[in-house]
Parts: sequence; structure tokens; C-alpha cells
Amino acid sequence: MNPFRGWWLGALLLGLTVVSPLRAWQEAPPVDETQEPAQPTLEEKVEELDQKVRILQRQDELEKEAAAEKAKTATGVTSGRDGFSFKSNDGAYVLKLRGYVQLDGRFYSGDDERPATDTFILRRVRPIFEGTVFKIFDFRIMPDFGGGTTVLQDAYIDARFSPKIKIRAGKFKPPVGLERLQSGTDILFVERGFPTSLLPNRDLGVQLFGDLAGGNVSWAAGVFNGVVDGGSGDLDGNDGKDYAARLFFQPFLADNGSWKGLGFGVAAITGDQQGTLTSTGLAAYRTPGQQTFFSYRSDGTAAGTVIADGERFRLTPQAHLYRGPFGLLTEYAISRQEVRRGTVAAELENTALQVTASWVFGGEPTYRAVSPKKPFDREAGTWGAFEVAARYNRLELDDDTFPLFANPASAAEAAEAWSLGLNWYLNRNVRIYLDYERTTFEGGAATGDREDESVLFSRFQISF
Amino acid sequence: MRFRAVPLLLLTLSLGAAASFAATVKLLNVSYDPTRELYQDFNAAFAKAWKAKTGQDVEIQQSHGGSGKQARSVVDGLEADVVTLALSYDIDAIANAGVLPKNWQTRLPNNSAPYTSTIVFLVRKGNPKKIKDWDDLVKPGVQVITPNPKTSGGARWNYLAAWGYALRKYGNDPAKAKDFVQRLFKNVPILDTGARGSTVTFVERGIGDVLLAWENEALLAVREIGKGQFQIVAPSLSILAEPTVTVVDKFANKHKTAALAKAYLDYLYTPEGQEIAARHYYRPRNQAVAAKYAQQFPQVQLFTIDQMFGGWPKAQKEHFADGAVFDQITGAGR
Repeated sequence: MNPFRGWWLGALLLGLTVVSPLRAWQEAPPVDETQEPAQPTLEEKVEELDQKVRILQRQDELEKEAAAEKAKTATGVTSGRDGFSFKSNDGAYVLKLRGYVQLDGRFYSGDDERPATDTFILRRVRPIFEGTVFKIFDFRIMPDFGGGTTVLQDAYIDARFSPKIKIRAGKFKPPVGLERLQSGTDILFVERGFPTSLLPNRDLGVQLFGDLAGGNVSWAAGVFNGVVDGGSGDLDGNDGKDYAARLFFQPFLADNGSWKGLGFGVAAITGDQQGTLTSTGLAAYRTPGQQTFFSYRSDGTAAGTVIADGERFRLTPQAHLYRGPFGLLTEYAISRQEVRRGTVAAELENTALQVTASWVFGGEPTYRAVSPKKPFDREAGTWGAFEVAARYNRLELDDDTFPLFANPASAAEAAEAWSLGLNWYLNRNVRIYLDYERTTFEGGAATGDREDESVLFSRFQISF
Repeated sequence: MRFRAVPLLLLTLSLGAAASFAATVKLLNVSYDPTRELYQDFNAAFAKAWKAKTGQDVEIQQSHGGSGKQARSVVDGLEADVVTLALSYDIDAIANAGVLPKNWQTRLPNNSAPYTSTIVFLVRKGNPKKIKDWDDLVKPGVQVITPNPKTSGGARWNYLAAWGYALRKYGNDPAKAKDFVQRLFKNVPILDTGARGSTVTFVERGIGDVLLAWENEALLAVREIGKGQFQIVAPSLSILAEPTVTVVDKFANKHKTAALAKAYLDYLYTPEGQEIAARHYYRPRNQAVAAKYAQQFPQVQLFTIDQMFGGWPKAQKEHFADGAVFDQITGAGR
């Protein structure tokens, strides 16, 4: 029963001295002095000592367990797959350091008529500083050093009065595009689809938002400076403001069942915008390979430059479904803008659609991210998760755009793209993309259609 | 509609909606220390039955620890769908936090206690200290292992079983009962936070002469964990322990698992559930199952907490509240 008995024989004297006074209520009972007390044998003494040592060891073990348990819930500095966090003891103040880096490769083929440069590019380099002060006030600051430039992407403050009502103020994504509202680390393909090109990117403003019915309904409404299609802004060029609203339903989200990944909704943003010759208030549109395929006429003169001149309205019905390994995201966008060239005015309506579908092996997709069930580990023989994806997307310009507002010899009337993608999620933090995009055009050349664009994209991404 | 691809959008949406891939619904059962093995088996059986009945996969997650500690975790926000704790008082504490109704105990048969147990003695092979009844536990030189009643539901049953014996022995004299229990706790060298911890102390660490244990825990130790190394001593009198279960309405509603959670607990009362409980040495309520497994349970004269102490709230206040009898006899809080 006691493998250490021989050893303890040697330690007997020392041990008895050390451990005997440890618990007062373990002391021996009063001794009847009229009787000669029975003397314990050496074996009994060893046994007693052995028990006391075991008790001490067990107490030490329990103290360590308690300390480990306390450490689990203790506040302070933490680090993990979601970044690094510093937290006050009461949780009222938090600072999180996060970020992501994306190294892209773009390789064009068949670009004889419109040569494009094969290149590696740091598409996004974004450190993120997030935090909480006074329990309910959150902030986020996210610069971007991608492409060798510095842009402040996000800088805002949230006030969380309740899950149903929150306020956000600063520079952030207006509540409009479904794919735009996804983080740049979570989008399915290297570049977003055409509907995102018609909807605002980031803007300055104030919005109210919240979740109702346990998160089954999300709502948001806000007022913003107003930015061009697909654009971001830091300063307004006119007094007009854009008003945005979004309602999104995920009826089975709280159910935590098999349909929890179903979501659908609609968003709109509208306002009066007035362009100038130097800041037209109108956007150019780019291919997935980031080549401009459409722009309005502009020669620096009032007669030859198209500017925004009145109401701008953008509407986007949107939906996603994530069920088991299957993922689907679809979005339709309408961008209607009153424009003017010289004395001629018109209302132009551009539209875009995308449908993406994906299938994950070794993980489960969500709108937010794919989390591999077994992260890549060579020694364990696990490979993370793989995802195959396909996308159809198309953008059409208003027929009335040509030829007065855009040059049909250089601006395409429509672009249609098919994409195939393979994503390898090594773990929650590291992801490798490989996409092939083929885009065809209607018009956009002096004769016939603009040359097709074929691009092979690669991306190495780390996010935390 | 001028955009010719819109029909494709609708078609794809329809196809996506039609695609059906079964996902798993999760349920969290926050339980007390020694029920790990019971609920591992029970969960597997229930998941199979639920799948057969509804076609839905269910994954039941378990959390175990001292009963009082577990209750505090739920009060502090651990989003349990169901709790299966050692005693009703701990669930009352959760009800007082407003996450389930105060009449929770009326929602299931047998006061929401689908199985029972009692407190017995586990001693080492050959019973070297000749322990036969509670009186032997207060003798000098006998080391008793029991967890801390402040954190462990099982420990509170242990304590009250000893107190009940002393009251019976000394003609309902609380002072003598207090002295008896005080002497007993003087023989306790270590207070673990939960019953499973005390089992580890006694069985695996080789500390102590006798473990005050749930009957199911003692039977598990004798027949499976330390086969041939221990034996059970049934005292002349012990307490009827009634572990209780309930749905945690607030969290189950939030997770939309209320119906599943209720079905989960109802399954405990079915012959299948009762059979699983009996296999894990809990005394089943179902008469037929109880008769089938009668041989494995020692004959012990049992009293209830209502009979001896006037119910859990009263017992808690008098014995385990801060500054109450347990603190007095162990010197805690001085």
C-alpha cells in the first residue's frame, strides 16, 4: 500500500516534527494519566506519518486545482486565436489587439488588348484596436496599410444601451450590402462580387441598430455623408446626406438548429447628392481583376463631364443560407442616380446580382467564418478544412447611359463573371485562397466587346 | 423586371432552401459531481431515442462539479438548458435568481427527483478500523473523508445524515447532535469541493479510513474503480437523498430548446431512463426497475430531510448559511 515506506523510515523524525501541529482538531484526545498509555509501534508511527504526508500532498494538489480554476475565470492579459486582450478586473475596461494581413497574387491571361500586370500585392494590412470603456462603450480603430497607402478604414464608438438599441458614430460600413458587411477576412473569394460595387463601402455618420427577438431580427438605421457606389469617404463635398436602413431576419438563429444559418433581408440608402467638375459624385466600376471597365465621361469641362445631380437611391435584397457544409449567399443591388452632363439630365439605373455557393470539407461555414474541426497539424495528420466555391455575378449599366453619359468605345454596357474558388483553412487564423475569375463584357471596345478578362488569384491570409 | 438574371437568383434561393443537411441541436446539462458516468450513458440513450422520434440529432454537453458551486455558476450566467443537481435547495437558489419558476419542483413527478440515493460508508478492504456505524466515525484516530458542505451537495447530505443519526441517538437533543457532528468533522483531514474529489482523495490518494459517500459513488468504487480494495458499510440509519432536476426556462427558451429539455428530463422517468439510473447505482423510482435491481442496494433505514429537518430551506439556514452551525463547529469565518 505504501511504496515510500522505506524512505519514510529515514525521514520519520523530521516528518513528525514538521507535520504534527498542522491541524489542531487532529490532536490526540486527553490522556488518562492514571493509565500507562499504549505506545504505538514503529509501523503504526510510519503509517500515521505516511497519512500526514499524503494529506499534505493532497492539500497541495487541491490548492493547485483551485488556483487553476481561478485562473480560468481571472481577468487580466489573455492571448489566443482571437488576438490579445487586456481586461480590468471588473471587465469594465478592455483593450483588444487584433489584425490581419493578406498577400495576394494576381495573374492575368489572354490580356493582349488590355495588358494587365501580374503582381503580388499586400491587399490588406490592418491592425485593429478594439476596446470597451465604462462597460457599455466600445470603440474600434482600424487603419489599412495595404497597397502601400495608408487609409483609416474604421474609427467608431458604440454605446450598448441594450441588445435591442445601440448607437454607433464614426467611420464604418453603412448597414447596406450583405457581402460588404462581411469582414474582409471572411469573404468567399479574393474580391467581392459586382453588387458590392454598387453599394457604399465606408462612410462617416451615426446609426442606431440592434437585435430583436433574441437575435432573430437585426435592424439598423442611420444618416451618413454619402459616398459613391463602392466608395469610401472621409469628408463630404456637399450638404446632402444619405439615409440608410436595413432589416435582416434570421428566424432560426436562436433555435440553434439546422436552419440557424438562414438569413434574408433588405437594405436601402437614399439621399440628394450634388457633384462638381472635380468631384463628380459618380463612381467608376472595376472588374474582379481590379481593372476599370466602366466610367462616366469626364474631360474637366461642364459640357463634357457627367456629375451627380439629385437623388441617389440604392436598394439591395439579400439572403444567405448556411446549412451543414453548404453555404449560399446571394445579393441583388439597384443603384439609381440622377445625373447631368451640361444641360442634359437623366436618371440612370444600374443593377447587379451575385449568387455564390460553397461546400466545406472538415468544417462548417457561417456568415462570419469557417472554423475547421481539426486544425492543420502534420504530426497529428490533420489538414484543417477545405472549401470549394462558385460564383456567378453580373453588372448591367442603364441603356440610357450610352452614348451621352459614357463612351461606348471604352465603357462596357455590362460585365458578367464566373468564379471558381478553393479555400484552405489551416486553422481559425490562417487561410489560403486560390480563385479563377473569368469576366466577359458587352460593349466597351471600339468594335464589338471588350476583351475577356481571365485572372488567377492567390491569397495568403493571417488574421487574429 | 429588366434584369434577366433575377430568375436565376430566385431559382438558386429555392435550391438552397431545399438543400437539407441535418445539423445538431445542443443541450447543456449542468450536473453535480458524481453523475458523469450516469449522464454519459443516459445522454447516448436519449439522443438515440430522440433521433428515432424526431429525426433530429442532439448533442448533450455535460458540466460537473460540486452541486452548490454548479448552481452558483448558473446563477452567474452559465447557460444551462437543464440542471440535474444534488439537492433541491441548489435549484431553489437558481430559481431565486429568476431564471426558472419557484414552483419548479411540481413540474415533474416525485418532486422532480427521478432517482434517489443515500449516504453509506466506504472503507478499505477488511475494514481495518472496524467501522460499523456513525459512532465509529467520531472515535479518535479515525480519519473521515467527506467534501465541504459549503460547495458540495453530497457533503450536505453526509452532514445531515450524521446529524439525524445523532438526534435519534440522543433523544433529539440538538446540543449533543452538534457535539457529535463536531467530533466527526475533527476527524476530517481534507475538505474537497465535491464528492468526486473526495473519492479521489480516498480511493486514489489512499487517504483516510472511511469515505462518506453517495451510495452510487461507493458502489462504483467497490465494483469498478477499486475492485477488491474496498467494501461498503451500511450504517444503521441514513438519509434519503433526492437529487432533483429541472429545465432552466430562461436559457432553454433563449436557445429554443425548451421542448427538447423537457423531453430529456421526462426520459429520466421512462423505464429505459430508470434502468440506466439503476445500472449506475442510483435507486430508481419505477417499482419494476427497483425490484429488478433490489439486490445491489444495501438495506438501510432512511429518514427524509422533511422529517428530520423541516425541509431544505430550514436545514440550509440553520446549518450551512454563513455563520451557521457548520461554520461554528469547524471554526470557519472566525
